[in-house]
Order: sequence, then structure tokens, then C-alpha cells
Amino acid sequence: MNYFVKGNPDLCIGCRTCMIGCVVAHEGKHIFEIDPDSYTFNPKLHMVKTAKLSVPVQCKHCENPACMAVCPVGAISRKGNAVVIDTDKCMGCKSCMDACPFGAINMVPVAGSSQADGSEKVVANKCDLCSGIPSGPACVRVCPTAALTLVTEEELDSAMEKKRQEAARTAYREMYPQK
Amino acid sequence: MSMGIPEIEDAGCLLCFGYNGADSHPIVARRIVRGRQKGMKIICADPRVTETARISDIHLQLKGGSNLALVNAMANVIWTEGLADTQFIEEHTKGYDEFLKVIEKYTPEYAEPITHIPAEEIRKAARMYATTKPAMILYGMGVCQFTQAVDVVKGLANLALMTGNFGGPSMGIGPVRGQNNVQGACDMGALPNSYPGYQNVTDPAVREKFEKAWGVPLSDKVGCPITHVPHRVLHEEDESKRIHAYYIFGEDPAQSDPDLAEVREALDKCDFVVMQDIYMNKTGLYADVILPATAWGENEGVYTCADRGFQRFRKLIEPEGDLKPDWQIIAEISTAMGYPMNYKNTEEIWDELIDLCPSFKGATYEKIEKYGCVQWPCRDKSLEDKGTPYLHKNGVFATADHKALFYGTDWHPPLELENDQYPMTLSTVREVGHYSVRTMTGNCRTLRNLEDEPGWVQMNTEDCRRMGFVKGELVKILSKRGYCITRCLPTDRVKPGATYMTYQWWIGACNELTTAKLDPISNTPEYKYCACRVEKIEDQEWAERHVMELYDDIRAQMGIDTGKGAKA
Repeated sequence: MNYFVKGNPDLCIGCRTCMIGCVVAHEGKHIFEIDPDSYTFNPKLHMVKTAKLSVPVQCKHCENPACMAVCPVGAISRKGNAVVIDTDKCMGCKSCMDACPFGAINMVPVAGSSQADGSEKVVANKCDLCSGIPSGPACVRVCPTAALTLVTEEELDSAMEKKRQEAARTAYREMYPQK
Repeated sequence: MSMGIPEIEDAGCLLCFGYNGADSHPIVARRIVRGRQKGMKIICADPRVTETARISDIHLQLKGGSNLALVNAMANVIWTEGLADTQFIEEHTKGYDEFLKVIEKYTPEYAEPITHIPAEEIRKAARMYATTKPAMILYGMGVCQFTQAVDVVKGLANLALMTGNFGGPSMGIGPVRGQNNVQGACDMGALPNSYPGYQNVTDPAVREKFEKAWGVPLSDKVGCPITHVPHRVLHEEDESKRIHAYYIFGEDPAQSDPDLAEVREALDKCDFVVMQDIYMNKTGLYADVILPATAWGENEGVYTCADRGFQRFRKLIEPEGDLKPDWQIIAEISTAMGYPMNYKNTEEIWDELIDLCPSFKGATYEKIEKYGCVQWPCRDKSLEDKGTPYLHKNGVFATADHKALFYGTDWHPPLELENDQYPMTLSTVREVGHYSVRTMTGNCRTLRNLEDEPGWVQMNTEDCRRMGFVKGELVKILSKRGYCITRCLPTDRVKPGATYMTYQWWIGACNELTTAKLDPISNTPEYKYCACRVEKIEDQEWAERHVMELYDDIRAQMGIDTGKGAKA
């Protein structure tokens, strides 16, 4: 099963450290270069603030990804426990962006790239769960209030188990309200 | 702060007043979030839906500038409903009866039309604060940056006094200071009226002590507050009081002070301006001499946290280029002016200082090193005296008779109200990611990637719809003092008629608009309230180009490379 990162709005303070952590994780040492144009600032998650909520939104790593189904060039695939985009294959057609119900995909320029007409290449961009980075998703690691968690299969199993037990207790209480 | 920051999360109830921790101190906000997880009740008094308001039990979304009416009304409820701690009041305080005469008229019904908060909400909040123990108050610039500021601080202290919320852990009142180490600057006597350790310059015994230690005669007169400088340069009739030279370090008045047009005029007229800072800033453009200093990480010393905690900070890297630590620059200037200073390191300076300040005396480098943080008062050098996590233990206050004094005052409105020409209000605020005047964070690439010039004006969604503004559109915002261009951010987190801007942007510089009216005691300007108007800019392409040109122009004036790599 695919994993995903879940944000808790009761803990989130809207500081966007997760977005910086994301860029640093994907750009590595480039961010220390003096020339700011030599790296791209393309966070793969986005802070959403409404009147009542603050929480970052990112890819859910769906089991049957709509983005993968619509991609005409097969640039989206499952890799480990994540759904990832192969930016070399991506032609920037925006179909995945259109298909994603969560707004988790955006189009971003690739630093230092150029096409036939000299313009920058633009590709689809979304959370890859820091695929290939041993310490796991940077957003989870850098969040100052621990508002983000990586939801794994084991965690989902144990959460579901707890919910089932609670459901059973509720059923018991309904049957024997006096006890 | 009367309490320590780590105590926040163990309070039973937090009254968070005009304080937006998530934007100004994420590390303190973390304590609030953790307290919430532990079951802490939260009452948030703020005209905006802040992150703390979002997770609060009661959000008192008051009209800006009505602070004291709300605080007095809460006191009125605590009194009339018999929720006051009469034993604490009797044993540890004075002036309660006089105070009651002031708050008598502040019924919730009286405060409702002033604060725009329903009377019943005020009652609920007062009851929650008075009956949940221990109760703590944190306040920020939303209290201090009004012409009625000190009165509100005292009003909040009244609430803590009447409910017996002093003298133990996780209670009391805490100003969460506006900037890193502003507490330290005050502790070190960077105030017009005190020597280090809050020892008054007008006290002859204190003066003699410092004269003896430093071997020079010292003035017995209170100095000039920073906010009086423009007047003392431009309009002072008495030649002996007129300011001719201005030595500014770690401060950017041409960005952070109110009514920037007047500040620029003062800096222009001032005969000699010295600027000592880590990067070029707006004030530097007016300086006759620039003294480049090392930054955090390139030098060492002691910071004081908002909760009176001394903490050492250390040098991480060797500075590159022609720059020196602040203390070395000061020592060299002093030596050149005829008073030799020959310190070898910061510990020598610190040792001299603590021996002159009874309440700091025990906080040696060795002790701070050993415990990580030592909160003053710390009077004894022995390792047993670990400092004072919370003040006024057992209700003993720092007055001659150890009793706290109630102090009641009437509310008055802010000094510049909305009018036909300027129908909206402007309050300056903070945003997480950019600290103070952006001297540091404006030079951090990733933070600039998140937010850059010309910044935003937060406006209510309905106001934006009515005026035809969309998100990101450049707008012109004006007050009777000046104007600037910024981007519109429609949000349901602010109330109709109010606008909010952060004060660090060079282009979207909201202090072009703010008023230099001051609180009579603290001399802090009314940054949180002035009248303004927002206008549409029809030619958005021109506006975008104009903003870019202004940005490039300022950067060029500052000598910053505006070629490739300086993408505005």
C-alpha cells in the first residue's frame, strides 16, 4: 500500500517550514549557491489557510491514481510506497493536474533547462514522499509542532484496529446500557 | 515575563491578548499548541483569526483599539460575580477599592459597543479566566503598540492580581517581547532612563557606583527615547537639546519607525549619522559612516530571552571580510574618543557588568554554561542559586512594602480614527519567515522565495469583492502621511474595514502610513492603528514594472548586485 503524509490542523501553526524543508530536501546543496537562479523553489506541498483551518495539502498517493491513469506518456508510476513523476518523461500537458481532485499537482519550471526555443522546460510537480532520501519525508522531520505524520500501512492497520474496538464497545454499550 | 516560557504549556487557562505567537515566535507558539494538547483552555483576544484564535475555546474578536474597554469589562465581571480571590487581594495588594471605582461602569453591556464583542461572550471569557487555575496571560505588540499601552498592561496585571494568579508556576503575565534579545538590550541599560540591571540614572547612589566603577562623571538626566529623535533633530528650539549626531546599530529606523517621511527628513538633516549593522539597510542609505559588524554565528555573547533567561550563544564560523563583532567596534570607538576599553573577550565585559547589577550578579558564564539558561534575578554566584523561573513567589512583590498595586484607568480611543477621506484602519503585524526589518531574512534566499517585495495587505474578502480587488493584485494604500504599493490578500481572517501589513518590506513599506503618536509612558508609537484608504491601480502591468524598478533601484543604491541572480 502507498504511504502518505497527513497534516493535523489542531497542531499546525501555518509557518510553512514544511515547504522550505521540502525544497531543501529536493535541491540539496544547491540552495547554498550564491546565485538564487541556480535552484528552483518548487515546494511539493502547499499551505492552505481558511478562516478556521491551517494545514499543508499534498499528494495522497492514491492506490488508483487518476493522475497516473491520464498521463499520456507514462511519466507517472508507483515507486516503493509512493506515486512519483518522472520529470524527464513529463511533457507538461497538465492532464494530471486537471485530474487530481486534491489540487496536489502544479506545473513548475526546471532550473537550468532549455527547450528548442530557449524557454525553460516546465513539468508536473508533486510530493514524492522524499523518494530516495533515507531519512524520509523532510516535511515531517522539520515541522516544529509535529503536525505532520507519515501514515504507513502498519499505522493505518493499528488505527483501524482501534476504531473497530471502539465500534465494538459502542455496540456493547447500546445493547447493555446499564452495565 | 513573570513566568518562564517552558511553564506556558502547563497553564490551566491562557489568556492570549494581542499576541500572535505563530507569526512572531513559532517556538513560543509551539508551547501554546502543546498546552492545548494537554487540555489548556485558551481565550484569545485578537481582532484577527490568528493561529491561536483558531484553536481557542473563546475568540474575542475585538475591534482594534478597544483593549482597555475589554480588559476593564473582564475585571468588572470578575468583581460583580464574586470570582475575585479576596484573600490574595487583602494579603498581597493595595488600591483595590480605588480600582473598583474605575471599573464600576465597565459592565459588559457598556463595553459591547466599544469592543464589538457581545456582552455574554465577555462574561464567559471572564468566568473562564477567573475559575480555571493556574491562569496565565501572554500579551504582545497588540497591547504595546497603541497610544494607550501601559494602561492596558496594568489592566492585564489587575486581572492576574484580582484572581491571585501571581506567585506560582504557569501563572502571571508575560509580555512576549517583539524581537530577539530586546529583553537583553533593556537588561543591559539600552534604555534612556536606566543603567544595566534597571538601575535608575536619576538615583544618586546608583550613579556614584557606576562613576566609581568606570572612572568618569555620568549624567543624572534621563536620555532621549528613539521615537523622540526626529522631533529633536527637526523641531527642537533649544540648541543645547538639538540632536546633531545619531549612532544607530542593529536598528533600521528608516524602515521600522512610524511616519517614514519624517524619519528620512530627520536623517537627512542630522549632521552626522553612523550605522553599524550586518547588511545594508534603508537607514544605511543616510549614513555618513557605515561600520560593518559580524552576524549571529560569527560572534559570541549572551542573549536574554523574553522570560529573563540568559543564554550564551557561540561563534560557529570565522567571519569573512572587513568586519568586527559589535563589542570590538564599540571598544575601538570608545578608545578613539579618549576612553580606552581593553576587553579581551565578552566574558570580561560580562563579569564587569554582573558585578555592577545585583539582580544579575549570580549569572556567571560558568553557571549559564552549566544550566543552559539562567533566569534573573540571580543574586548569588554559588551554583545553588539557579535563578528565578517565576517572579513574585508567595505573593511577594518588588515594591517597598512587597505589595502589588492595583491601577485603574479609563479607556480612550486611538488617536487617529477612520474618517471620510480615510475610511479604513491599518495595523502593522508580523509574518513568520521574515524577522523584524528583513535585514537578516531578506538576505536568506529560501525565505525570499516564500515571500518577497512588495508584500501583502490583508483585507476582508467582502471588502475586496466590493472594491473589485482580487488576490495578488497590486493596490495603492494611503494615509494622510504617505502611501505605498503592495499586493492585496483577501482573507476571512480579518474583519471588514480593517487592513493589516507587515512592516519589513522596502516597497510595501507600511510605515510610510503609520502615525508617530506615542504612548505617554513607554514612548511606543501607535503602530496598530491609523486611518487609511486602499485604491485600485488600473494599469497592473505598469504597477508590476514600477515595483520591480523600485526594488532594483533600492538594491542598486545599497550596492547589491542587480544582475543575474538578483531576481526581484
